[in-house]
Amino acid sequence: MISSWFKSGSPWIWLNAAAVSACLIMIIGVLGLIVVRGIGHFWPAQVTQFSYQEADGQVKTIFAEIVDTSVTPAAAAKISGYKMADNEEDLVQYQIKTGNRDVTGADFRWLQEHNIKSQDQPTDLMVVERREWGNFYGQLVAVKENGKTLASDRQAWPVAKTKIDEALAVYDEIAHLEKKEIGAINYSLEQLRLKGRSLELKDQLDETAKVSIENEKTELKKQYEQYQIQLRTLYQKIRGASLVAKTDSGKEVDISLAKVVMIYQPNNMNLFQKIGHYFSKLAEFLTDDPREANTEGGIFPAIFGTIMMVLIMSIIVTPFGVIAAVYLREYAKQGFTTQLIRIAVNNLAGVPSVVYGVFGLGFFVYILGGNIDKLFYPESAPAPVFGTPGLLWASITLALLTLPVVIVATEEGLARIPKSIREGSLALGATKFETLWNTVLPMASPAIMTGMILAVARAAGEVAPLMLVGVVKLAPTLPLDGNAPFIHLDRKFMHLGFHIYDVGFQSPNVEAARPLVYATALLLVLVIIGLNLSAIIIRNNLREKYRALEG
Amino acid sequence: MDNTNIGHHISGQFNKELEDVRNHVLTMGGLVEEQIEQAIKAFTTANVELAELVIKQDNQIDDLEIALDRECTQIMALRQPTAFDLRLLLTVLKIINELERVGDLAEVIAKMTIHTSGIESSKNDPYYEVQHMADLVKSMLHDALDSFARMTVEQVPAITSKDENVDREYASILRQQVTYMMEDPRNITRTLNVLWTVRSLERIGDHACNICEHLVYMIKGEDVRHISREELERKVKGE
Amino acid sequence: MTTEQTRTHAIDMNSILRGRDHAPEQLDITIKIENLNLHYGQKQALHNINMEIPKRRVTAYIGPSGCGKSTLLRCINRMNDLVDSARIDGKILLDNENIYDKSVNVAALRRRVGMVFQKPNPFPKSIFENVAYGLRIQGINDKRTLDETVENALRGAALWDEVKDRLKDNALGLSGGQQQRLVIARAIAIEPEVLLLDEPASALDPISTLKIEELINELKEKYTIVIVTHNMQQAARVSDYTAFMYMGELIEIDSTSQLFTKPKKKQTEDYITGRYG
Repeated sequence: MISSWFKSGSPWIWLNAAAVSACLIMIIGVLGLIVVRGIGHFWPAQVTQFSYQEADGQVKTIFAEIVDTSVTPAAAAKISGYKMADNEEDLVQYQIKTGNRDVTGADFRWLQEHNIKSQDQPTDLMVVERREWGNFYGQLVAVKENGKTLASDRQAWPVAKTKIDEALAVYDEIAHLEKKEIGAINYSLEQLRLKGRSLELKDQLDETAKVSIENEKTELKKQYEQYQIQLRTLYQKIRGASLVAKTDSGKEVDISLAKVVMIYQPNNMNLFQKIGHYFSKLAEFLTDDPREANTEGGIFPAIFGTIMMVLIMSIIVTPFGVIAAVYLREYAKQGFTTQLIRIAVNNLAGVPSVVYGVFGLGFFVYILGGNIDKLFYPESAPAPVFGTPGLLWASITLALLTLPVVIVATEEGLARIPKSIREGSLALGATKFETLWNTVLPMASPAIMTGMILAVARAAGEVAPLMLVGVVKLAPTLPLDGNAPFIHLDRKFMHLGFHIYDVGFQSPNVEAARPLVYATALLLVLVIIGLNLSAIIIRNNLREKYRALEG
Repeated sequence: MDNTNIGHHISGQFNKELEDVRNHVLTMGGLVEEQIEQAIKAFTTANVELAELVIKQDNQIDDLEIALDRECTQIMALRQPTAFDLRLLLTVLKIINELERVGDLAEVIAKMTIHTSGIESSKNDPYYEVQHMADLVKSMLHDALDSFARMTVEQVPAITSKDENVDREYASILRQQVTYMMEDPRNITRTLNVLWTVRSLERIGDHACNICEHLVYMIKGEDVRHISREELERKVKGE
Repeated sequence: MTTEQTRTHAIDMNSILRGRDHAPEQLDITIKIENLNLHYGQKQALHNINMEIPKRRVTAYIGPSGCGKSTLLRCINRMNDLVDSARIDGKILLDNENIYDKSVNVAALRRRVGMVFQKPNPFPKSIFENVAYGLRIQGINDKRTLDETVENALRGAALWDEVKDRLKDNALGLSGGQQQRLVIARAIAIEPEVLLLDEPASALDPISTLKIEELINELKEKYTIVIVTHNMQQAARVSDYTAFMYMGELIEIDSTSQLFTKPKKKQTEDYITGRYG
């Protein structure tokens, strides 16, 4: 019986099916976890008012969001030192987010269910998202401007809303002025300084040059002064206004509107408002700069940096890899040497990525970059331009890392093109190069795209080498902006992978940032899927177009 | 070409088909030879029954020709023969045509027998002159068919030179018979019968020669029709 | 090579009526192969080939597989240059000019000597671009010239009526026979002098094969055609001259009618009648 069952091959089929199922479960598990944890982060949670009996017997009011629940059997809880009633079977604990870090010093705490006297969700509980110190939970008391109370109690909420909208508009203006306009002036000033320095180094800094540089400087300074005046008035506008709010301990706190990002009353929101809130938070996440050591706000610079780096890497690696593969396959005399090169290339793919990072830092950054600085940017010394980790070096390092993939895929593609096609072209009087360019390479393009897809997938997920050659925790500027020459390959940049690592393990408030880690991870996966998907679509189109003479 | 073997085709079936054709031609040849033999015998012995048998048997030859014709056509259509195989089949088509005509001539002789059976004087006439010529012609035909069977052309010059003897004999018989007629007008009937018969024999000789010419084409690939004797001999030797 | 007979199959009534002593027609010779030897590494693939290929006639190579007929064909437009191990000595004269001379531009030679392969190998481009390929390689991009040449080439290859409404379609959508005619159109678009056909119909069905053969018959008005074929009947049908090759040697070359009715060599006879060697 059993032996015939074995002979029938069914066990083998079951084994295969089991292996596939295991893979599927793992993939779904990973994605599911990230999606569930990440997506929920932006949903406005209800704020609960607890009456809680502390260990010393005092009953306190606490405003907080329930974040997590843990259930411990009574026996285990007793061993851990919790006081348990006799009829209790389990110790139920809630992890709550109390916010108000500036007041209480901690964001999270645990509550034991049996000590909660009552809990309620009053509609007037307010959440304030601030630029510093995390969320504030409390009740709105009044809105003040320049010391005068504009509204209080029941009227306060709508007034606060409109005031905050005004303040945000002003804030945007300030941000625009500071980042774009003053940033541009600073950039120009720096360029002028470098120009002066370089002329000085070349001993060409005569009086006329000095005067013209000075003139430009004063011109820029004048503009700068104007912006400063504008800024001062704007700051005045928003600094004056503030919210007065009561914390759970009954303390009244003044919150300057300049520091408020958003206020909302989650218990007072209906489903649609919550959905609206969700999407506005999501948009903020995708398009804003990070705040508070990356644990709040958006991750736009990281998305931008990741995509930018991957694109530059692709632009570098594709032609390089294709040319190398074409030479290996089409021009080089096949023999021991080419075989040796192939083995070397294949082995490169197996080198741990951090080794590439070390190499990138040692060779590209210090040797290459250092020499470039010496030769082309002597004026900015001792500050390095290319002699320090940056976007260019990160891209080149990753290009080197992914080069074997592109070479191997391209070679495969070239090898698959039927000989008859080449002969057909040659027989029409085309030279070898014309044949390659007009028929062989277009037909190999799907394979080249496949190589690029693999390269992109690998590069976008790589973190270790990037930490050495250009990725930083927080980059002040994007590598692409409005100041000529627009792309600044020497700048450091942010990267989603590193961002995850940083937020998850290096931030001051790891607990608070955990959902953000999931959200960022989800985004990283989505970015990679997006990059791959677009490449796959292009490849499939090419494949359809060059559906070669198979069979 | 010295390869005159029908066999050795990669296709055994093709070998067999060609072999069959050759055997059928030889069968037909044998039948024709027998017809001549019997017709002459009937003529010289004034045996009417034998003559009638000969006339009847001619149908067989006609049927054989038609069957062989069909066989050759079929092989050509299905096998698309080339070179020797092609020449063999073309030659067979021509040879069976010649043989059929020879058969017809045997029938003519048989009819002459019936025709002359009413004449008293011819009953005891052994027709030596006719017999001699008939032997000559029979040997020519026999040799030609023998050459075909063995696929050689060595005998061809000998056969064609025999035809010259036949022609000479024919001329002398003609003269002799004309003399008979002039001697005695009563001989005219007999003489005419003899003349018809020798005329047929002479034609049989010509057909035997034609068969030889076809054979040369078949084996050597050379067309030897309408050329001189010397040229023929040269071509047969393959020079 | 004998030049006694002019055309094959059809009986030349005029020459018969002129009488037996008419002078044989003299043929122009396009290609002359002299003492050609070819080695693949240690193995000699062609042994001392000497032959002439007449202008505007169809010359066919027949012979068993591996006899070197394709190799010889590929020598005529130097396709064997692509094989690293191939070593060639001897001469091939195209219009009295040795194509293996150092000064010869191989690409230019291949424009003069076009080639069509066993399997149809259209490029994965549109029908139009396939035919225009050779012209574009030469730098001809003028729309009008291209249109005209493409149409003429397609007409020349008897394909125009079938594809004129879908010139922009991918050539791979055509049937095998159409693809092969497209490849021929592509070859004649650059107006070569010689057309080499390497078993052009071996991958096609009988009707497509007949169309190709008909096309070859038309093309010989303008081009010198050399064809390699496994199919002896095809060689017999389309060619004026047939060369029989065996084990890298040219055994016999003669007018097709002569070779197929009365070959001079026993090896030829054995091969064409299908006997064991």
